[in-house]
Amino acid sequence: MTWLKLVEGYMPMQMISELGLSILVFVLINWALHRAGMGVPKFWAGVGVWVFIQLYLKYRIYPPIPFSVRAIYGTVSACGIFMWVSGSEKEWQEFKRPILNVMDGITGFHKSVRMAALFVIPLALGGFAYNSFLPSFEEPIELRTVHPAPPATTKVHGKTFVLQVVQNPYRVNADGDYDQGYTDARIVEQAMGRLMKDVNDPNYNPWDPNAEGYIKYVREGGEIFFQNCHFCHGDNLNGRGLWAYAFNPIPANFTDAGTIAQLQETFVFWRVSKGGIGLPGEGFPWASVMPPWEQHLTVDEIWKVVMFEYWHTGYYPRTWD
Amino acid sequence: MRIVTTTATRWGMLVCISMLLGMAGGSWAQDDLPEGFVKQGLPSAPGAESIEAGKRVYFTKCVWCHGVEGAGDGPGAVRLWPRPRNFNAGTFKIRHTASGQLPLIDTDLFQTVTHGLPGSAMPPWEGILTDQQRRDVLAFVTTRLVEDRSWQDEEFEEFFVLDLESMSPKEATPESIQRGSELVVEKKCIECHGLEGRGDGNAFNLKDDWGFPIQPADWHKCWNFRGSRQDPYNVKNIFRTFSTGLNGTPMPSFADNTSVDERWDIANYVNALCERVTDIAVVGGQVSENTAQQLAKGVALPIDPLTDKPKSNFVIPSKFVEGDLPTEADDERWGLVQRRWIAMGGQITHKPRNFVNRIDDVWVRSLYNETHIEFLFRWDDRTRSIQEEEVDWDPTEVNLEDYGVQEQSPQGTMFAEDPFHEESIAAKQNQYAVYNDGIAFQFPIKWQELPAPRKPRYFWGDETFPVDITKWMADGTVAVYEGTGWDEDFSEVDFADEVEVVKAEWSHGQWTVILKRPLKGDYDEVAYLEGGKYIPMVFFAWDGHNGDVGRKMAVSAFYYLVMEPPTPVTTYIYPAFIMVGVIIVEGWVLGRRANKRKASSRS
Repeated sequence: MTWLKLVEGYMPMQMISELGLSILVFVLINWALHRAGMGVPKFWAGVGVWVFIQLYLKYRIYPPIPFSVRAIYGTVSACGIFMWVSGSEKEWQEFKRPILNVMDGITGFHKSVRMAALFVIPLALGGFAYNSFLPSFEEPIELRTVHPAPPATTKVHGKTFVLQVVQNPYRVNADGDYDQGYTDARIVEQAMGRLMKDVNDPNYNPWDPNAEGYIKYVREGGEIFFQNCHFCHGDNLNGRGLWAYAFNPIPANFTDAGTIAQLQETFVFWRVSKGGIGLPGEGFPWASVMPPWEQHLTVDEIWKVVMFEYWHTGYYPRTWD
Repeated sequence: MRIVTTTATRWGMLVCISMLLGMAGGSWAQDDLPEGFVKQGLPSAPGAESIEAGKRVYFTKCVWCHGVEGAGDGPGAVRLWPRPRNFNAGTFKIRHTASGQLPLIDTDLFQTVTHGLPGSAMPPWEGILTDQQRRDVLAFVTTRLVEDRSWQDEEFEEFFVLDLESMSPKEATPESIQRGSELVVEKKCIECHGLEGRGDGNAFNLKDDWGFPIQPADWHKCWNFRGSRQDPYNVKNIFRTFSTGLNGTPMPSFADNTSVDERWDIANYVNALCERVTDIAVVGGQVSENTAQQLAKGVALPIDPLTDKPKSNFVIPSKFVEGDLPTEADDERWGLVQRRWIAMGGQITHKPRNFVNRIDDVWVRSLYNETHIEFLFRWDDRTRSIQEEEVDWDPTEVNLEDYGVQEQSPQGTMFAEDPFHEESIAAKQNQYAVYNDGIAFQFPIKWQELPAPRKPRYFWGDETFPVDITKWMADGTVAVYEGTGWDEDFSEVDFADEVEVVKAEWSHGQWTVILKRPLKGDYDEVAYLEGGKYIPMVFFAWDGHNGDVGRKMAVSAFYYLVMEPPTPVTTYIYPAFIMVGVIIVEGWVLGRRANKRKASSRS
């Protein structure tokens, strides 16, 4: 189904607005049907909405939501539907009517439904119980801290860096001074595609032969990225590299607002230098295949590649103030 | 005959064809086209604005691999195989157009940019670049970077387009599949792709137009087909590739010597070989009626839409069997347990990193009895590699860099001095010293003592929690090592005698290895495996012809081995109780309702 993209990961705003919109559409349809004199009985409307929400949660979202979470949503939505159908005594009576009709077996049809329910309900519950008693070995859910607290200092290639004060030596203006405002103005546009601002201006295009200073360092960082990092983090820095499918935890998605965009540049420097093995326990250092890049790159190369990641995603590193 | 077309010969052919055309007075009848093709006019040139917009896209996103001049020589190229496309000659693999012709920009190239090229580093750009941005970048690439040819060149270019849209695939019946299996022999597909289609035929001597080694596709992994368009089990993709060939590679077009009907049969067979939920053996490419029926019924593997590969499940179930464990891969009892797909990536954490992992997945199944556990490994490897020369190092040594086992150098940005990229990883393929193929798996020795979620490091354990590593190598040796870290030499454990290589066979591009080991290690040096528990497990694989040895290998993520205990009786008892209880409650509710109604009607 390529024409309709699944709601990716956990995007609560998209999910809630889509659900809200579709319920609004149902209300409108219901209202129109009532006007036309073909109203849907309250009972079936309630059941229908509840089933719709369950199906939406099960099939519309990827990766799938675990059953336990769907059960919570199911309970909450059932409560909501009950409040709706029991708004007034008259509505509540209307809602109960089909259930009572079946229990009383007022017509032949209702009698047969009653008979069927007598068998179907115990069988369904028994089957459900069997399934839950059957020993099953699902993948255990293990929650790791993606951005653990950084240490105060880190030692890379024999040099100690105090993370609170150290600055990226390549984030410089035309005079060669550290200047975040100057460099932030030269990163890619925060619009669809995240493209460089002007391909014909050496101030913005790292590949311009006349590019100097910051923007030239960005190219050098990019060369390092595309010789080392893209295998996992992907050509668009979105964590979908060549081997992303093989590893767990999955590679970080730098275009997501929750990774480098909310971190200080020095934090990223520490993470890159020390890699997965350098994480504290809550970050699952044993499982991460992220290399400690100090084994492969120089300090200068690490600073440049970090700067490239900010340039390419169009994010500003977070600052202390 | 296999037609290897180089750019030069293709140009020559084009000139000849156009001269012939001139003599024929330009009277091309539809009949002269290969079956299934229609003639189409040349596209109009893109606007200058679109080209300029595309340049901006190109220099932000594409230049890193495809290079400033579009010669496929960006900084990323040196460590990539397959290499990024060199646009200059206008040679493109995935097309609806006849062999040797340029691709259609709006469909072929647009789909390539949209869906990416699986099995290579080219990602899908859909959702990252807008439709317009993707069209713009193609406007730039096709007008500025394709140098030798032009889509507007009325004199030399023409388009015979495979009319796939208006065709409906022939149903993949057992007869069609069986016929396809005969046709791949008749049409000599198997010469390169191998008898069972694992790309193990003429796998070593093939080169692309630029002189870089190239491998025939492994038909069992359709999700790696470059032209799979994020829809790997769609037979139309195979039909298209087979009809138009892959320009720039030894894969010719079969449009002239096969009918459309035959092409569907072949495509159906190739598609049926792609791995399904159950493993169907096509021994030596001999497809009996029975096998064809099984192939026709195969259920496609679920594909993960985030990765376009089969979905991973990190739990490897092992089932209990009474008596002796299987000694053959075709023992029925393997059917008791689902096989698991283990995705493998290159080892890129520590030196020497493996940027080209030729083994990208392994299938595993497991059974156990009272005393032993057995693993059936199956993985595709085009080459059977057995180390012939003595090596200087000891098998327990892990750091082989001093012995010359080094990773591909990044080469800086010195491309100007190396125009043929002789120092790139692609040029070096098939020239490595040959080591042993191998497979290994590790368990934490004292996994019972691991405080959840702690595990020993995936890469050969750590000091606090050592691992035992069972390693099989293609020279027939099997060893058990204790690993205490990625850079710590192994120590050999006195357990290898107890590990049995039940079977190890390479056949038509696939290894089948069955390893059996006792459940009970001594706990101090070797893991003591117990049922009903989650036991962390990691897999490693080596392809000897890829120069894989020591730390240069393919690795997996963490998996869990679970030896499933027999189902307890309570599983059947409780639901029965619940059902009876529900019936009683139902009766009570209905009874009360009936009484109430009686009471209200009486009053």
